[in-house]
Amino acid sequence: MAITTITEPPQIHRLPQHKYVDAVRWLPLLSAFDRFAVLALFDSDSDSSSVEIHSLTPTPPALTSQSSWVSPSRVSSLKTSLSHQKTIVVASTIAGSLHVLFSDPMDASLESEISVADNALHVGTHFMCRFDGWWDGVSKWASPMEFATGGYGFSLQWWDQRKPGGPVSQFKGNWAQRMTSGIVHSIDIHPSRKHTCLAGGSLGTVFAWDLRWQEQPIILSGVGTGDSLTRSTSESEVWEVQYDRYMKSTNLGNISSARVLPAMICSEDGILAVVEQGEEPIELLTEPCAINSFDIDRHNPSDVICGLEWESVAILTRS
Amino acid sequence: MAVMALDSGDGSLVPFSSETRDSPVVYPIHHGLKPPVARLAISWSRGNSLRVSVFRPPSGNDSGESDGEVGGKVVEVKLNDGDPEISDGQWRRIAYGSVSPFALLQSRRSSVSSLSKMSMSPSPYDVDWWEYVIEYSKDISSLLGGSNLTRGPIIEDPKAVLKKGEEPTSLKAAWELMEIFYADKQSQEWLPERLVDWLADYDSLLSSTHATVHSKIVDFQKELVRLQVIENDPKYWEVMSSALAVGWLDVVVKMLRLHGSYQLDQLSNRETENGLVEAVAILISKMPRLRPELDARKLGECFKSKPDFVKAWEKWRAQITKLDCSAYWVQCDNQHTREGLRNMLHIMLGNADSLHRATYQWIELYISHFLYIRPFTMGFESMYSLAQKCMQLKPMSCYHRLIRLLIGILGENTEVVLAECSREFGPWMVVHAIELLTAGSEQTEILLHEERDSLGGISIGELHRLVYAQVLSSHALTWQIAPIYLTSCVKQGMSLLEILLYSQSVQHNQLLLKNIEICRLYELDHVSSSIMKVAGVYHWKHGRKGSGVFWLQQAQDAVRLNKISQQLFDSVGKSISDESFKQWEGIIELLGSESKTAVGLEFLHKYRDFKKSLQQVSGGKTTDAARQAAESLILLMKNPSTPQRFWLPLLYDSLKLLNWLEQPLLNVSQTNLLLNKLQELSMARLRPDFIEPNLPTHALSSVRIALATNLGRAILEE
Repeated sequence: MAITTITEPPQIHRLPQHKYVDAVRWLPLLSAFDRFAVLALFDSDSDSSSVEIHSLTPTPPALTSQSSWVSPSRVSSLKTSLSHQKTIVVASTIAGSLHVLFSDPMDASLESEISVADNALHVGTHFMCRFDGWWDGVSKWASPMEFATGGYGFSLQWWDQRKPGGPVSQFKGNWAQRMTSGIVHSIDIHPSRKHTCLAGGSLGTVFAWDLRWQEQPIILSGVGTGDSLTRSTSESEVWEVQYDRYMKSTNLGNISSARVLPAMICSEDGILAVVEQGEEPIELLTEPCAINSFDIDRHNPSDVICGLEWESVAILTRS
Repeated sequence: MAVMALDSGDGSLVPFSSETRDSPVVYPIHHGLKPPVARLAISWSRGNSLRVSVFRPPSGNDSGESDGEVGGKVVEVKLNDGDPEISDGQWRRIAYGSVSPFALLQSRRSSVSSLSKMSMSPSPYDVDWWEYVIEYSKDISSLLGGSNLTRGPIIEDPKAVLKKGEEPTSLKAAWELMEIFYADKQSQEWLPERLVDWLADYDSLLSSTHATVHSKIVDFQKELVRLQVIENDPKYWEVMSSALAVGWLDVVVKMLRLHGSYQLDQLSNRETENGLVEAVAILISKMPRLRPELDARKLGECFKSKPDFVKAWEKWRAQITKLDCSAYWVQCDNQHTREGLRNMLHIMLGNADSLHRATYQWIELYISHFLYIRPFTMGFESMYSLAQKCMQLKPMSCYHRLIRLLIGILGENTEVVLAECSREFGPWMVVHAIELLTAGSEQTEILLHEERDSLGGISIGELHRLVYAQVLSSHALTWQIAPIYLTSCVKQGMSLLEILLYSQSVQHNQLLLKNIEICRLYELDHVSSSIMKVAGVYHWKHGRKGSGVFWLQQAQDAVRLNKISQQLFDSVGKSISDESFKQWEGIIELLGSESKTAVGLEFLHKYRDFKKSLQQVSGGKTTDAARQAAESLILLMKNPSTPQRFWLPLLYDSLKLLNWLEQPLLNVSQTNLLLNKLQELSMARLRPDFIEPNLPTHALSSVRIALATNLGRAILEE
């Protein structure tokens, strides 16, 4: 079955927005014919932020706004999911509020919205923020009971709601005697490999932390690791990491569970790449400006949407 | 610049001294406050915005009787004298897009100049430099609008004489003018033909001030549907001869084919007339052009070399003259057709009067002269004098900004060109067009790159770049590309870059990291460490202690980290309660990971260990744990980094250890060390700057007694 072909460069389409793109996500949908993307936009002219659902029309790709919701402040994080025949868009803002938007899965029109204000949110996440205000990192749920957080100093913590009082496991990112430390900006946990935490952060660092071998993180990319095997694609902030579900010739079962699955990263120096343990990174996109966020389509993993620093969105189709 | 005024009922704020020639324009601000307005405050906001604060008088009544009105409002006024054709968002897109071509050209320039230094070549402008500049120019040009402005529809409407395409912008037109005259050296040979193309693309823009050939055709297009016998309308012939005069041959031929004699029912009795129309149409479509190639839809026959062209031109003219003198004209019954066609022949033969009648603006007349009177013009020769002649023939009260730019270019006056670019198209245009202006002209190069005392020692080129960078810096989304332009300014760029970087907000980590990334790119380590210090202090002050410590550590700011550890000592030292210690443990952990940067933190780390073992002692009662705690105490007291004012609290905390019942935990020398420290402390107490620890008054004496007792027991033990 394994067909090895020379990887063709992906088709790239850049779509200017005339607004700053804070975050991008694909919207999971029931319909096979329509495709939608969620954009968190910031309009500097009117100083207003919004979450907009755009429909994507192919050949040539174009985004047309379908529905829009005005956000009280700039969006810091955006997630989408599908549940009970409704698509859900969750947005958090830099002011600390959380908003849940429900949309019709057929035509992506926004139907309702629930907001959680700043102070209410604090109570709800008190368990998480035992650090008394100094923590401002990222988190990712592994299961309904477990989640991982990351933040300053390349640190990762593994939490279990059944064991309150503190993190179950902690990783301190001092594996290399570096002069400067960094911040973890993004975490991903693969649904079938919950023991491994994938993290990306400063200095182009991408590493996997396996709960079974906690002392030895697996470095996929990063500067100053001193390891000639790991090549670094980027030297600056890795803003987002996600497991790349797009596989050409191999399937998931063949990969040993000790091996880290391929991961996609985007960085401040404008690189969108796939990094794999012990292999040369594959650069999918190099931009003169930062790539602040990206999302791989769950249903068509060959398609990637990126939010670029220069007020535009790029859509990649891998062949 | 617009002048602000307030329409506050009586309008008392408005009057101006009307000494200026142009009366000022008054723009009312709608602030929605009830008059009267007591006070106005105006200040600059970010970029081109003014912040106007409008205050109402404080209500004279006593409290409680307010009229339900707010006391004042702040209105942000955007002063936009920008291009009406291009929105702010599009300007930003152009600004983003031009970064890469600009940066590429700069890096090529530096590599070319370093190469030429090595090979001792007289000028950095080798042959291939043109290629770089033209590549740059094409990249920029593609940003400014679609590559093909007048792409036609797939299914052609036979009556659609003019094809509709993307709306052209003056900016693109101006850029192309600059490219034609300065960058594209290959097309210097057929400069007039390039101008013909340019006018064909952008004549519609010129209609905004005066009538043009384009506007006439557009008007006629509207009437076309209503016309029954097209050739009897004098406008038909008028418009056609105008289009022919400026060389839009495809339009003319298409219009000729609309002639009534082509209709099947008419063909038989208007045979001669139709033959004449067709002959003219063929002559027009065979017009020789001195240019390498033509668009597929454009008409004419191309000739690359001048001798071939001259030959073809003579032949073509001979054919026209022959047709003009032929006897068929007498047989043509239709007077309109006869006169119209012959007028077109005269245009092609270069009859100055016909050309003058057929054109509307001097630039159109100018183009027609190149096409039909002086077809052999090559290069720049005598172009300006011809332009002046045409301007005299078609005088206009005011010129479109593109025409003013063209006059500057033809007059070979770099200062005028720069001034027009700057005034009409803004700083973006000047900065990017300078690259075209300097391409190949050493004189211009000197003019633009010569350092001038009147400009504070910088060159004109640098001045414009600084201005543009300033514009970019003033916008929250474009400040990140300003460094590209600032770093290309040798004299003042770097210092302005530092100011720009310092002035960015440190509030949000993402922005902060983007800022630091720029510092990394330009090797401004001292700036980034200062920024990190600022960020650290900011976060610390706002209660995000962990973030504060992290950034101070990144900045390797030993001074502030020491201060922080002092603060920590104080708060940790105040009480040894379990809760308060837990509160700080995270930070001590964080601080401890890189204790090398702050000596005091080493102490704090040890202090934490000591506290931990002390807690174990108070929990259980094992001697081993107590011994370990005592060891930690000695280590702490021996350590020079342990602050003096901490000695007594430490000893007081460990009274329990000193009075350990089972056996003395400290030996003689250790006890002596502690006694010496205590003595030292008593001496220090006499100094005025000594800070009394917050301990019970008997603390010192009880420690002293405990130590003395311990000493006795230790001596006995040994």
